[in-house]
Amino acid sequence: MGLVVLVLAACAHRDRIVVGSKNFTESDLLGEIVAQQIERRTGLAVARRFHLGGTFVCHQAITAGQIDLYVEYTGTAYTAVLKHAPVADRDSVYRVVASDYAQRFGLVWGKPLGFNNTFAITVRRRDAAHYGLRRVSDLARVAPRWKAGFGYEFLERADGFRGLASVYGLRFAAPPIAMDLGLTYRALAEGKVDVIAGNSTDGQIQALDLMVLEDDRRYFPPYEAAPVTRQATLARHDGLAAALGQLTGRISDAEMRRLNALADVEHRDIATVARDWLRSNLP
Amino acid sequence: MSLWDFYARNAGEVLGLVGQHLSLVASSTAIAMVVGVPGGILLTRRPAWRAPVLGLANVFQTIPSLALFGFLIPLPLIGGIGATTAIVALVVYGLLPIVRNTYAGIAGVDPAVREAGRGMGMTDWQLLTQVELPLGLGVILAGVRVATVVSVGTATIAAAIGAGGLGVYIFRGVAVVDDTLILAGALPAALMALAADALFGLAERRFAWRAK
Repeated sequence: MGLVVLVLAACAHRDRIVVGSKNFTESDLLGEIVAQQIERRTGLAVARRFHLGGTFVCHQAITAGQIDLYVEYTGTAYTAVLKHAPVADRDSVYRVVASDYAQRFGLVWGKPLGFNNTFAITVRRRDAAHYGLRRVSDLARVAPRWKAGFGYEFLERADGFRGLASVYGLRFAAPPIAMDLGLTYRALAEGKVDVIAGNSTDGQIQALDLMVLEDDRRYFPPYEAAPVTRQATLARHDGLAAALGQLTGRISDAEMRRLNALADVEHRDIATVARDWLRSNLP
Repeated sequence: MSLWDFYARNAGEVLGLVGQHLSLVASSTAIAMVVGVPGGILLTRRPAWRAPVLGLANVFQTIPSLALFGFLIPLPLIGGIGATTAIVALVVYGLLPIVRNTYAGIAGVDPAVREAGRGMGMTDWQLLTQVELPLGLGVILAGVRVATVVSVGTATIAAAIGAGGLGVYIFRGVAVVDDTLILAGALPAALMALAADALFGLAERRFAWRAK
């Protein structure tokens, strides 16, 4: 009896695709879109392991075979996982990431979904109007009197704060306050800090009346989102690659911001947002 | 880089973060005691309040820390970003074991002993300070012990609101996929929790003896 249960469990696991996501709304949304797309196009059962604790946890989970795929960003894989020095060229980043992942981890990068979720140096809109800020270079003028609040990832990463400060000559009154990324938006809106580094596709930017400064010196590397899948999983399921391929280039920056706002600002259910998007874009 | 190399190279920073962590734990546990012990005593005098107060303390435990920080940021005095907000959150999480054990410690005193005290003409205050608190001390200390040990672990979330502490290494490590950094924060926190547990264990045994 125990043996039967064990065998059944093993079979169930083989025919099931486990989709993961990182611990923020956009990743959950993309995970859900991918999951529903697989369910619709291949008929395979999909298990969701969403909101895992960031890049580190997702990477450990997929290399250990705990999940079969998740949506990753090229720039994140390039600098945070592969530890390369940041590069601003989109195509070369994608090429390096795809070949390194295949060789080192047995993971396959699908084609990018379309949008680029880069770091977004963000200020309050009224400050931008008052001080005439449009580009990140404009920030150098006011920085000595301003307080910055950044997430740990931005403070630590090679393509994060240190490089930004030296490229743009930013000197703040005090070292930036290190805090949770999600809380930086609240802190900015409440006037506790004056500048943060959000993500360019975050729905909060519009909702809280904030403004993204243009990266006029092209400092930030590309962060194109694409599904990363275990080679073994793709080999086992024929239709899987084709189903994922249909999503290629379908989500623009503006579209992603809109979907994020639906979930974050209007508090719509993520599964519903994903289903509606799939219905109207891939009928 | 190995963990020991990391500590050797960043000794000053490590000590600073350990200090921040200790002060977060010490101040929040002290405040939780100042609020929680009288609170627990009050519940023994007002039995009707017991269920709602303990229920509320229970609910506090379930609020996710980031959500709690989100609520606290806009508030004056107890909010904003930095150590104050972190301490307020840690106090909120530390109240339950202290209030509950203080109540249990005093409520658990043998009614016959209490009656004997009253028979001797003790006032309520004398009864509390000379009979109930000494007899309940072991249980009350056990509550403080749990609150402190839990607080050592929970204080790592202070790093999410710019308050520093050992959580800084854990948050950094998670952000950049670096096991050494995560360990650099988690290991001293674990040792600190064990040390606090051992220390309070000793105190508890001592006072429980005296009560017998």
